[in-house]
Amino acid sequence: MQRRVIGALTIREIYTRFGRESLGFAWIVAEPLVFAVPVLFMWKAIRGSHEHGLSVMPFLWSGYIPLLLFRHLGGRILMFIRVNAGLLYHRRVTILDIFVARALLEIGGNLTALIASFALFYALGAVDVPQDLPMFYLGYFFMVWWGVAAALIIGGLSERSDWVAQVWMPYSYMYMVFSGFFFLADWLPPTLRNIALYQPYTQAYEMIRAGVFGGAIRTYGDPFYTAFILAVLTLVGLWLMREGRKFVVLE
Amino acid sequence: MIRTFDVCKEYRSEGRAHRVLSNISFTVERGEKIAVLGRNGAGKSTLMRLLGGVELPTSGSIERTMSLSWPLGLQGGFQGSLTGNDNLRFIARIYNKPFDYIRAYVEDFAELGKYLSEPVKTYSMGMRARFAFALSLAIDFDCYLIDEIIAAGDQRFQRRSHEELFEKRADRAMILASHIGEIVKAYCSRALVLHRGRGKVFEDLSLALDIYNDL
Repeated sequence: MQRRVIGALTIREIYTRFGRESLGFAWIVAEPLVFAVPVLFMWKAIRGSHEHGLSVMPFLWSGYIPLLLFRHLGGRILMFIRVNAGLLYHRRVTILDIFVARALLEIGGNLTALIASFALFYALGAVDVPQDLPMFYLGYFFMVWWGVAAALIIGGLSERSDWVAQVWMPYSYMYMVFSGFFFLADWLPPTLRNIALYQPYTQAYEMIRAGVFGGAIRTYGDPFYTAFILAVLTLVGLWLMREGRKFVVLE
Repeated sequence: MIRTFDVCKEYRSEGRAHRVLSNISFTVERGEKIAVLGRNGAGKSTLMRLLGGVELPTSGSIERTMSLSWPLGLQGGFQGSLTGNDNLRFIARIYNKPFDYIRAYVEDFAELGKYLSEPVKTYSMGMRARFAFALSLAIDFDCYLIDEIIAAGDQRFQRRSHEELFEKRADRAMILASHIGEIVKAYCSRALVLHRGRGKVFEDLSLALDIYNDL
């Protein structure tokens, strides 16, 4: 039964967000590309084609698409319970259903954008097939998991107090700097590197980069640590989300 | 059966808890109709939302062993930015009913015609009430939560909703928040009187109405 509810919510979400006549789902795919393509080409033009001896395009491509995933998942989930409180008139609809429908849509869109952007850049000769595909998939899997865990926490907290929404904006920009979008752990001084590697998303970036560049670079990804920390964050998020339900007040 | 046990609800505002309902306990058996009486602000709508599971009680529990509608009122149950038809599709999907059936029912009952393909937020108050009411009647429940809906709409709509609720669904349970003494007397067998967040069930309807009128 919950599958039916989640399916109905997903379709509803597509209708409300994209309208019925417009491009619809195609826009979910196009949206990240519209942002990613100019950014990536501009970067290449300004900074040249190599960074620390690596090709810039694959480096940025494998950094930017996961960044979008995180920002979309987090941004869409802010106060999502409050916004969708009307749905809770139907007792069959739980906040977890609403969450799952939204997350599925974002993840589906992002993965499609990942494939579409890869196809585009591959055709242009800007990126190559990742050297170590299983490692790439593993890293991306952790990236998705991190996005979901973070969204659970943000969604649960934003029901309690409004400052979460205020903090989200600067945080999501800062995230670009410290997440691993721009760097490999190997480029950092050892003390900073050790601190950075506590972050699950930096870990995931390390694995994604290990997948893309294979043996050409030195990476520090640790799947066991990452899985552990993400499991903890997910449990915290689920708890916060359940608690957040108590704060729901309708007009 | 619907059973509430020691249900309390508090809202927080300006850092302080403000109690709206305290220790409400009552049961509604299958087929039974119970009135909820209380002045504005006595907590009727809050109780309806708690019963419907829209909001959760601060403490206490609500047991439901029969299917219970959402609180039927002027709002809730639909989304304004979607068209009438898209709302119907959504409802049909989550309650696993054929869309054609739901659409036919709502079309006939709410008499909205071509407006069904317009966003619900463009409807007038009366149209919205008809839509919301038709929507909830299109799904079959054992017990209906009714929050003042009877007072809405024009005469024809009032007559028809009366027919649908009290004649065609005479065998269903209802929890009916109403100000109208005649309706309460005609259909309910017991009444829960709410005053300042406290509640008491009266088996004697005339007594309940007298007390309510004196509040």
